[in-house]
Amino acid sequence: MKMIGAAIDEIYSVLAQMVSSLFRHGLPLTDKIAARTALTNFVLHIHPVRVRRSWIRMSYTLCLGGLSFFLFIVLTVTGLYLMFYYVPATSHAYQDMRDLQFVVTFGGVIRNMHRWAAHAMVITVWLHMARVFLTGAYKKPREFNWAIGTFLLLITLLLSFSGYLLPWDQLSIWAVTVGTNMAKYAPIAGPYTRYLMLGGRAVGDATLLRFYVAHVVGLPLIGFLLMVVHFWRVRKDGFSGGL
Amino acid sequence: MATGARERLDARDRVEARRRGLSEPPLQLRDDSEDEMIVSFPEFVFKEFIAMVAMTVFLLVVSIWLQAPLLGKANPAMTPNPSKAPWYFLGLQELLARFPPLMAGVAFPTFVIVLMILVPYLDRNPSRRPSERKLAIFLFALYAVITVGLVLVGTFFRGHEFNFDWGWVLGNES
Repeated sequence: MKMIGAAIDEIYSVLAQMVSSLFRHGLPLTDKIAARTALTNFVLHIHPVRVRRSWIRMSYTLCLGGLSFFLFIVLTVTGLYLMFYYVPATSHAYQDMRDLQFVVTFGGVIRNMHRWAAHAMVITVWLHMARVFLTGAYKKPREFNWAIGTFLLLITLLLSFSGYLLPWDQLSIWAVTVGTNMAKYAPIAGPYTRYLMLGGRAVGDATLLRFYVAHVVGLPLIGFLLMVVHFWRVRKDGFSGGL
Repeated sequence: MATGARERLDARDRVEARRRGLSEPPLQLRDDSEDEMIVSFPEFVFKEFIAMVAMTVFLLVVSIWLQAPLLGKANPAMTPNPSKAPWYFLGLQELLARFPPLMAGVAFPTFVIVLMILVPYLDRNPSRRPSERKLAIFLFALYAVITVGLVLVGTFFRGHEFNFDWGWVLGNES
């Protein structure tokens, strides 16, 4: 009987060790542990341990930067779901979209979320820039972070534009035809740039594959790296709030 | 941590106070008792969490009610009229309808992007108070009105052959 009791105690302590090893901090039951949580937790370590109330006042930040990042995460998750059902070839793409809409479980809602979140992200990123401009938050020492932000806006637009082609419907190819036609007016490089984007002289199979690769690998990767630097600079340059 | 801006602001208040012959700053810009240091977790994190939940609910509701467009299969032989770029490029398409392509399609966007990146270096005004940044705010408002206006015109008032079409407002859609 005593041995069984000891064994149960042993198992319990091992389980407790397993659970407590999940986090580098204990349950945030006391103020002290709560304060250390932002420092020791991987997901939360993007935050400083302590902030001044005015830095994070919602009437100042309007949450726009954070929401843009959150929309990027939503787009990544919903995008991965769509990737399971989508083949980037002109012979498959459109039927895959129909299947997503009508056959795949939650396919329609996930695709709608991907689409609307993409539009929302263009808007939140633009509004975030407007907020930063109107509060003069780009001023020294944050000049360079504003430049990174400008590139992030461009990446957002390009991500949205490259995704536009993938459903391979009438809206897609003609919007992309109009969009890439703009590139062709650049002096000298224009026609070559367009040829490079399309992989040919007209929107076709090669274009679909190029846009797909750019949409799911190239642009998100560049965007993610820029975001990492952007957030790091926010921490290092200091929050702009508290005017 | 970001106390630089705060110190600069306080220093400027002291200079202003001295100029006016006061011993104290003339205007209490911040009340430190209200503007205390708080721990990020859970207060800040909780706010972010609420914002994320709100956005998720919003997206879900919109996505359940509003279908993303899916037209007929792509047909390179049939050009829809009008063919329009995605809405955020309609400002550009609107410019292309008015100016020579080299200017509207290449020179102008490049100019805007370069100008945007240079904004912090061109704005020599050190102040961040709206009342002391009238020119910057006016220029931004101008930029916003033009950008949003062109997108709205391109979206709602351009019809066949990308010509003006007031049907959407006047109610006689052809």
